[in-house]
Amino acid sequence: MRRRRGEGRAGAGGPRYPGWLALPAILWWAFFFVGPLAIMAALSFGEVSGYADVAFTWNLGNYRYLWDPLYGEIFLRTFELAVIGTGVTLLIGFPFAYYLARYAKNKTFLLFLVIVPFWTSFLIRTYSWLIILDPDFPLFRALGLSDAVGRLDLLYTTKAIYIGVAYNYLPLMVLPLYAALERMDWTLVEAAEDLGDGPLRAFRRVTLPLVLPGVLAGSLLVFIPLTGEFLIPAILGGERTFFVGNLIAQQFGEARDWPFGASISMVIVGAMTIAMLLYARLLSRQEQFGG
Amino acid sequence: MDEPTLWQRPVSRRGFVAAAGIAALAAASGGRLTRDAFAAGDAGVLRYYNWAGYVNPKTYTDFTKATGITVKKSFYVSNEALLAKLKAGARGYDLAVPTGYMVAILADEKLLEPIDWSKLPTVKKTIDAKFRKLPFDPQDKWSVPKDWGTTGFMYRTDKIKERPTTWKQFFGLFKKYPKKFTVLDGSPEVIGSTLVMLGHSYNSDSPGELDAARKFLLDLKPYVHSIDSTTYKQKVAGGKAYGALGWNGDGAYVVSHTKGKAEYVVASEGGEFWVDSYVIPTGAENPAAAHSWIDFVYKPATNVQETSYTYYGSPLKRALFGTVPGSKPLLANDDVFPAPKTLAKLEANNISPKGTRLRERIWTEFKSA
Repeated sequence: MRRRRGEGRAGAGGPRYPGWLALPAILWWAFFFVGPLAIMAALSFGEVSGYADVAFTWNLGNYRYLWDPLYGEIFLRTFELAVIGTGVTLLIGFPFAYYLARYAKNKTFLLFLVIVPFWTSFLIRTYSWLIILDPDFPLFRALGLSDAVGRLDLLYTTKAIYIGVAYNYLPLMVLPLYAALERMDWTLVEAAEDLGDGPLRAFRRVTLPLVLPGVLAGSLLVFIPLTGEFLIPAILGGERTFFVGNLIAQQFGEARDWPFGASISMVIVGAMTIAMLLYARLLSRQEQFGG
Repeated sequence: MDEPTLWQRPVSRRGFVAAAGIAALAAASGGRLTRDAFAAGDAGVLRYYNWAGYVNPKTYTDFTKATGITVKKSFYVSNEALLAKLKAGARGYDLAVPTGYMVAILADEKLLEPIDWSKLPTVKKTIDAKFRKLPFDPQDKWSVPKDWGTTGFMYRTDKIKERPTTWKQFFGLFKKYPKKFTVLDGSPEVIGSTLVMLGHSYNSDSPGELDAARKFLLDLKPYVHSIDSTTYKQKVAGGKAYGALGWNGDGAYVVSHTKGKAEYVVASEGGEFWVDSYVIPTGAENPAAAHSWIDFVYKPATNVQETSYTYYGSPLKRALFGTVPGSKPLLANDDVFPAPKTLAKLEANNISPKGTRLRERIWTEFKSA
């Protein structure tokens, strides 16, 4: 990842490949990404006609309809979920990844444990939390904790949603963090300490700048899907709390209002594009300092 | 311990969230894949697209034994999901079971093949005349009724002292027992029932009436246990919730799984009456097998077997249904076969496109509050 602006094309010294080799990838990208996105954009300017048809009327009606405090609140709530979810997984994931990369003896086994949940469907893992968060969970009963858990009132609340988010997204945060920390040359930290930095200062001035790309990568991997999350709120929140993902799912399903759903999606795509541009900027600045 | 354990739980007629995700994936993968997934044109196969848990498993094996036709099953979670799938071009389904209002929409959208009544001798002999020529299919051209039922409420008689008979009394319990009552995850049912309580039509699309329903529901929201169409019957049967706005089949399930310590009520103000009907989607490869299935389940013995599993009303002549051993308790069960005077007040879902958009905004606000 050391490529700088202007070096994008095959470097002077590297092997040269004919340009047409990129064709399959470009076709794939055009057909499966640009095409659907264009359809979505076109839909967002249309409107529903009758029960299930779409009329391409090319107006801003859907966006105007979206300009409503009700939907604004849902967008803000979703942003909050994405920010807090990213923060929580970072807080839990970083110390773990740090330990894993620097001190752990049985790295392979611990990494294996991080990956194991991926062997089961996301859906099943989320449903299983319904059983765990239930005060009648046999383990709580055996430990006499049922009443205490019952008082926490977790099931079908925002708390349950955040627990589900932290659990499901943790591996997405840990893996890039681990990859970054694993590449760390720890002698640099030792050198900083030898030259008079305390552990905290050495962490701030040496470790953190070096692993920042990993932190950003992990944060994006968690943040972006969280803005469209709808299954965890639906299952663990008992459908009582609504996020943008649920709103989109509703428009494409029950409401049969694809144009409105498309306009909501386009707003999210726009917001994510801005976030990605900021990320790219942060990263390039980072490379100027770190590289 | 009368709560059924998780692995024994039959899924609700209206399916479950998991299936929603899978259905979304399947819809995203497009109709062509669906056709390829089935062995095209195989006369020995019936491709049955249905609500989950809506057929007695024994009926499948009985049907295969009797006709030699094997059934390939796939499931949808809502009428709207079925419409979306067919509208997106999915082909190759021989049989589906939408609710009445959706039969009309599908027919309008030219997504159905006509029913050939000459291939349904048993149906013609056994169907109750009042299930012929229903308003959503006045010529009996597109559909044959499968089951019918009501949308009302259920409650545990051992958990509360009250004996609600009206929507007003039922919704009143939400505040008295905070977070102990659930509502269906469906805007027509919840908003419609509220409208009925307020003295309006279940299908109203008047902005003023809908706004009154909206205010009532937003006020109710903090007291709702969960918004659930799929596992609510287990919540009530297990005592985690004391009651629910729901369908009669689920109500009858709760009554039988609590040994009678529950009650299902069709509210005295009124509510929804629905009929789910067999239809043959456009592009069916084996409409003959679809007709065989419909005719097969209209045999009184098979039909009783179905009703004893779904707890939804049968469209057969009562007298014929009653000749089958085991049918008596079902006929006597007022939740499965409500009295005619209870039914007289009910309305079928018939919401206009304009009403749908107004309702979706209210529904979003209700869920979001």
